Amino acid sequence: MNQPNNTHDQAQHVNPVTVFGILTLCTIVEIALPLLHIERSVLVPLLLGISFTKAGLVAAYYMHLRYEPPIYTAIFLAPALFAGFLILTLAMG
Amino acid sequence: MSSTASVSQVVSAEVAHANQNRKLGMWLFLSSELLIFAGLIGAFVLTRRSVFLRGEEWWHATPFSTALVSLNTFLLLASSLMVVLGIESIRRNENRKLQRYLALTALLGSLFLAGQAVEYSILIFEEGHSFADPFGSAFFTLTGLHGLHVLVGVIWCLTTLLVARRGKFHAHNYTTVEIFGLYWHFVDLIWVIIFTVVYLT
Repeated sequence: MNQPNNTHDQAQHVNPVTVFGILTLCTIVEIALPLLHIERSVLVPLLLGISFTKAGLVAAYYMHLRYEPPIYTAIFLAPALFAGFLILTLAMG
Repeated sequence: MSSTASVSQVVSAEVAHANQNRKLGMWLFLSSELLIFAGLIGAFVLTRRSVFLRGEEWWHATPFSTALVSLNTFLLLASSLMVVLGIESIRRNENRKLQRYLALTALLGSLFLAGQAVEYSILIFEEGHSFADPFGSAFFTLTGLHGLHVLVGVIWCLTTLLVARRGKFHAHNYTTVEIFGLYWHFVDLIWVIIFTVVYLT
């Protein structure tokens, strides 16, 4: 019996290999940045910004939030915003 | 004949609804997991700060451990790509490809765990860290819980692979693979944050 997934089968997806390439590039930049001896007050927000961007890419394109009904985004985004705020404020302190 | 068709339509709609509910349940579960990890990452950062304020020495990653953890990060990112490619394969009814990608995912996940085991052995046996010191308690709790999630993911992946080998998935029935994929990507997403906060900042 068919079990329709009924989600985003017809949506035009971004090439996952491209997303992987961007994630890899971001990771290389992240690893290289501390070696440049940048001031901590600049380095930490920069690293966290890249990290949150990577997490956003994973959620949007690998977990398909970009193509799913908005309810899933709302369910995940609410704690994600709280978590992001918590980590950002503590790490910057 | 028409009544058979309408029964089939109703069953199909119910199954689609059930699949939506399964995904909704998974998203709710992942949201609660996100808060658990946020709390542990917060605890790690606070412990590190309190050690700094006391003027004590905090752990610094050696070049070897940074290289090892960076490699582990790439392994996990690559495993996520394998899951995405696997789901795309089954959407095209390519069950053999799905099996190959799931096997690769399990392999990459296992390699990640092996890398973590090497890292732990260095920290415990060479550097003498344990749950008794502030760094050890914060570090092992956070990364250990994540490692446990990877272990569960590998077992889940192998179970999904066994089901795929029996030919249970096809272009109209792959929600089970999608739900496993959500879990695996979440584990990857969490590692992306842990990697930055614990090893780079």
